[in-house]
Amino acid sequence: MLKKLKRLLKDLFGKKDEIKLGIYGPPNTGKTTLANRISKEFTGEEMGSASEVPHETRVVQKKEKVRLQSDGKEISMNLLDMPGISTKVDYKEFVDHGIDEEEAKVRSKEATKGVVEAIKWLDKVDAVLVVFDSTNNPYTQVNVTILGNLEAKDIPIILVANKTDLDDAEPESIQDAFPQYNFTEISAKENENMANLYKKIIESV
Amino acid sequence: MAKKKSKKKKSGVKIEFISRVKLHEKEFEEKLELIMNGVKDENILVLEEALNAQEKAKLIEKSMEECDEDFPGIEFSGFDSRGNWIEKILYQITGRERKDGLLIVGSSDIMEKVEEDKDAISMIAKLE
Repeated sequence: MLKKLKRLLKDLFGKKDEIKLGIYGPPNTGKTTLANRISKEFTGEEMGSASEVPHETRVVQKKEKVRLQSDGKEISMNLLDMPGISTKVDYKEFVDHGIDEEEAKVRSKEATKGVVEAIKWLDKVDAVLVVFDSTNNPYTQVNVTILGNLEAKDIPIILVANKTDLDDAEPESIQDAFPQYNFTEISAKENENMANLYKKIIESV
Repeated sequence: MAKKKSKKKKSGVKIEFISRVKLHEKEFEEKLELIMNGVKDENILVLEEALNAQEKAKLIEKSMEECDEDFPGIEFSGFDSRGNWIEKILYQITGRERKDGLLIVGSSDIMEKVEEDKDAISMIAKLE
């Protein structure tokens, strides 16, 4: 009830001309692929390079003035692709991906700074897409921490079950783990169900 | 400031249980230091208290700041406090928060999470 009242007051007095939409989640859930998909659709340009190597995005990537349209409605937003949040960064993991040791140590340091930066941005975003890899167990402390912080700040959240094109995807497990949140499933890579996500973004802000 | 990771070779993993009474006396920054010192000593800590979401974010931040070649970060898990909506409103008014629950935390090079959901956790401590 308290939340509904807050939302109503925000709708009446707090509408922003431009919202900051953060894309959050653990590493390798497809955040950059999703950011690129949205950016390409509405600006014609991609935002960053996606990779199977974890922590490819190590600083916040921004795309300003993205005019997202759905069902005749439009919002203007700054799209923010966040570094993946994790509790550990081991340089040996980069070495296992074929990166030489010195470069791996540099990447590792950058990745830790990226995680801290992403956490600090939790205070500054207006709405968030929390991206899950549908093939992994969604109930992790990283996801619980991201969602708990956003909820405490009353920031609108959409859970995005990504990678539904994969054979072992179980998007329903995400909804089961966090049934209280707005939810949608997509494949950013295959451009599946993106229209539904755009609609939900506009509805949530 | 948390100490440097212990370089001394250990024959096993020490598990340290810390009671709610002991934790109750401490400010959050002190608890954070206690945790970081414990995990850098390659202990697994079991705290008889849950962290809230903001505290967990601080714990992740702190572990990232302390990350280096010898210390790759932490693994943690636990059972959160499950206050109902009345308790949540009371917390907003009084600032007194329920902390019942459990936190298990260790260095990620000795602790591996196997499975976790709201009601069950299983972990493996690596003995090398």
